[in-house]
Amino acid sequence: MRLSGLQKEILSLYRQCLRACRSKPEAKQAHFRSFARNEFNKNMGIDKRDFGAIEFLLRKGRRQLEMYSSPGVKDIKSQ
Amino acid sequence: MASIARSALLRQVATAGPVPRQVIASSSRALPVATFHTSARRNLLPPLPQKVEGTVNDPAPVPEPSPSHGSYHWTFDRLVAASLIPLTVTPFAAGSLNPTLDALLCATILIHSHTGFQSIIIDYVPTWRMPRVRKLFNWGLKAATAVVGLALYEFETTDVGLVETVKRVWTA
Amino acid sequence: MAALRSTSTRALLASARPSSLRIAAAGPIRGFAQLADGAQQSNVAAGDQPAAKLKTFQIYRWNPDQPTEKPRMQSYTLDLNKTGPMVLDALIRIKNELDPTLTFRRSCREGICGSCAMNINGTNTLACLCRIPNEDSSEMKIYPLPHTYVVKDLVPDLTQFYKQYKSIKPYLQRDTPSPDGKEYRQTKEDRKKLDGLYECILCACCSTSCPSYWWNSEEYLGPAILLQSYRWIVDSRDERTAQRKDALNNSMSLYRCHTILNCTRTCPKGLNPGLAIAKIKKEMAFS
Repeated sequence: MRLSGLQKEILSLYRQCLRACRSKPEAKQAHFRSFARNEFNKNMGIDKRDFGAIEFLLRKGRRQLEMYSSPGVKDIKSQ
Repeated sequence: MASIARSALLRQVATAGPVPRQVIASSSRALPVATFHTSARRNLLPPLPQKVEGTVNDPAPVPEPSPSHGSYHWTFDRLVAASLIPLTVTPFAAGSLNPTLDALLCATILIHSHTGFQSIIIDYVPTWRMPRVRKLFNWGLKAATAVVGLALYEFETTDVGLVETVKRVWTA
Repeated sequence: MAALRSTSTRALLASARPSSLRIAAAGPIRGFAQLADGAQQSNVAAGDQPAAKLKTFQIYRWNPDQPTEKPRMQSYTLDLNKTGPMVLDALIRIKNELDPTLTFRRSCREGICGSCAMNINGTNTLACLCRIPNEDSSEMKIYPLPHTYVVKDLVPDLTQFYKQYKSIKPYLQRDTPSPDGKEYRQTKEDRKKLDGLYECILCACCSTSCPSYWWNSEEYLGPAILLQSYRWIVDSRDERTAQRKDALNNSMSLYRCHTILNCTRTCPKGLNPGLAIAKIKKEMAFS
């Protein structure tokens, strides 16, 4: 299946998130991973042609990744 | 290059404009678009999703200094534009049809319009977004300038020349 | 610098190109509150109830928690007799009394912080310096700053703007210590050059009204940042003037300014970014 540019960007964001999890303390890595999964799962239902919404979520995701990947964040709770 | 991979038409259909980089919201309760737009809306080059280079606290990248694209270019541009004024006025005032002056006028107009079009291309065909199209446009402009230059040369050497033509058309 | 704030130039511009400047068409009156307003309001408090002066505000709403919903305009009606004279007063009252979910930035409410920059009736301005027009009863339309990514309702994302501000190094760069080891002194003439530049509060009204910036905000710095850049270029105490100019010496950073002068027209502080940019260009042409 050929992916559109936006889909590729989302996949790359997801990969970045999983990679960022590895820089966290070993015991808490699972928490971070499930948090990231959860965030992506929340918006699974969005129409794939709703570019505005997807672009916004991508922006928000990047911002969140930047914030949570700072070494000061040691643990996270997924809701 | 997300936007190129994406069909512009599809995008137009799907986005009435959420996350607006354009201010006009088109929902049923929004004010009619026509109050803002006097011309039809075309989604040429829709805005991309925001991309922040580095973290939010990094400064934006500063490009390498290149005076030939910056200050020299600008100064040259202004000098050419300013020199066009006397060159255009002289034939009217003096009524002379000096071929050298005529050739100079042609050359200056050519350069002036070349830099003018160039700056339109720089404005509307950004390199960071579509480098290939930019190259295409640049070469197209060069070709057009060359053709016009050749045509003006032919016109000057084999025909009556620019000022004389204007004069004849004026009195015709 | 008196010339920077010359009202005659602005009047000239307004008359010369009325159609090309789409922003600020029938803009609201900007000005500071006067004593008369206060007197009027104390009368109201004293008891004699004048007829309600209703005014409708149409405000741009968009909630990031429901990203699939399209942005919409929401109307709020207020009695102007019970509201302060400025648009910000109205917004605060709407948030307090009608709709606590309305989101906007505000801080100083007196035009010093630059937080409440928004697009009011088609003009980028500070809500705290923009009077609610009393005489006409038409609706006021309030949008976030144009061509910005919206965070929520009237809150624009100014990340790129601040990143660009950081890139011009907006601080004094000096290697030689001052002769008396105390302050870096400046003549009165040199200090005068900074007038009309240092007052800029970086509200982003001018940058977001500039069509060049709309197109090329990734590379073009925009009027606000260039005004700040000029503020450091003319500063007699700064010793990196050449480097500062070099940083602007390319086709994008500075020379995308085509003297459209929307910036000068919209500046809520009455500054002239267009003139500052022209001066940078002049200095770069003759150096």
